[in-house]
Amino acid sequence: MKWLIKQIRKEEWSPYVAGVLLGIVGILTVVLSQSLLGASGGFENLAAYIGKAIDPKNMYFNYVMPAGITFPVVLLVGVFFGGMLGALSSGTFKFRTMDDEQWKQALGKQTWKRWLLLFIGAIILEYAAGIAGGCTSGLAISGGMLLVPAAFLFIVGMFASGIVTALIIYGKKY
Amino acid sequence: MTYVIALVLGVFFGFSLNKAGLTKYNKIVNVFRLNDLAVLKFMMTALVVAMIGLYGLKGLGLVAFPAVPTTYVVGNIVGGLIFGIGMALAGYCPGTCVAGSGEGKLDYLIPGLLGFLTGAVLYGLTYQQVFPKISAIANYGDVILPDLWHINPYLAVLVFTIMALLLFYLIDRAGLQRKKK
Repeated sequence: MKWLIKQIRKEEWSPYVAGVLLGIVGILTVVLSQSLLGASGGFENLAAYIGKAIDPKNMYFNYVMPAGITFPVVLLVGVFFGGMLGALSSGTFKFRTMDDEQWKQALGKQTWKRWLLLFIGAIILEYAAGIAGGCTSGLAISGGMLLVPAAFLFIVGMFASGIVTALIIYGKKY
Repeated sequence: MTYVIALVLGVFFGFSLNKAGLTKYNKIVNVFRLNDLAVLKFMMTALVVAMIGLYGLKGLGLVAFPAVPTTYVVGNIVGGLIFGIGMALAGYCPGTCVAGSGEGKLDYLIPGLLGFLTGAVLYGLTYQQVFPKISAIANYGDVILPDLWHINPYLAVLVFTIMALLLFYLIDRAGLQRKKK
């Protein structure tokens, strides 16, 4: 028992063990709620509140992804607290900025620059998830586990451009 | 009740992302630099475990699949290509940003979450100019590979599992050899 608690409190698990946990969560999501795990969809339900204020007749926010505290939104709230619980369990919870050494070496020490790039990056990610029909969780994992072709097309695209982007950013240090 | 289920599932989801180290910039970007493949191992393990569980339960008649993501070849790939740029640049994706926010990372909590909301608003406002066109090309509907290729679903799961295990074996062996040097 002591051994188990010690393992659980470790800051980082083997990716295989953490992956088994996520796989079980994926199964339970289907069994318990007849839906799939996802993250980008929740942001769309929340964005609908803003989108409808800008354009009240907007098709997407009225019919495709209406505003509301939906299953994906509550799921996101859970993910937030899950991350918190994980950090608390390993004693790494702390309000902080610029906590990644590799980022500082590759992209500079300025906080404003990191915030700008994270903001732009997030816009790109969410927009791309819209086009693709989901993100890493909602399409790649949730679709892949059901052997949906879209998931594998997405994964191939994501790795291809991710590798090229990392090559450009890191250059000789790649 | 649905909310309670969603909340609990979300907690375990976020917890697994935290423990896998996916809420860290370096973990995500290094999978694209091919020098730390933890992200790939984590994703593929989750995929295989859930695949065996769900196809097994479906075979026993205990569960029906929910609506699956739609396959429209060009849109899925183009979306993936743009997604990869954002992921390698920022070092997170929607789910890991939310989990990282919970860990106290203000970089994720403030510009991150605001960025995802902004992206979602922009997408919704331009949806009609973009999505109907791109999703109409090579659209196969809500299909799964066993139906599309007319293969036995259990055989497909078995082949996929063997491929994943082989991949894990090769990754770990390459990792060990790198350490020896």
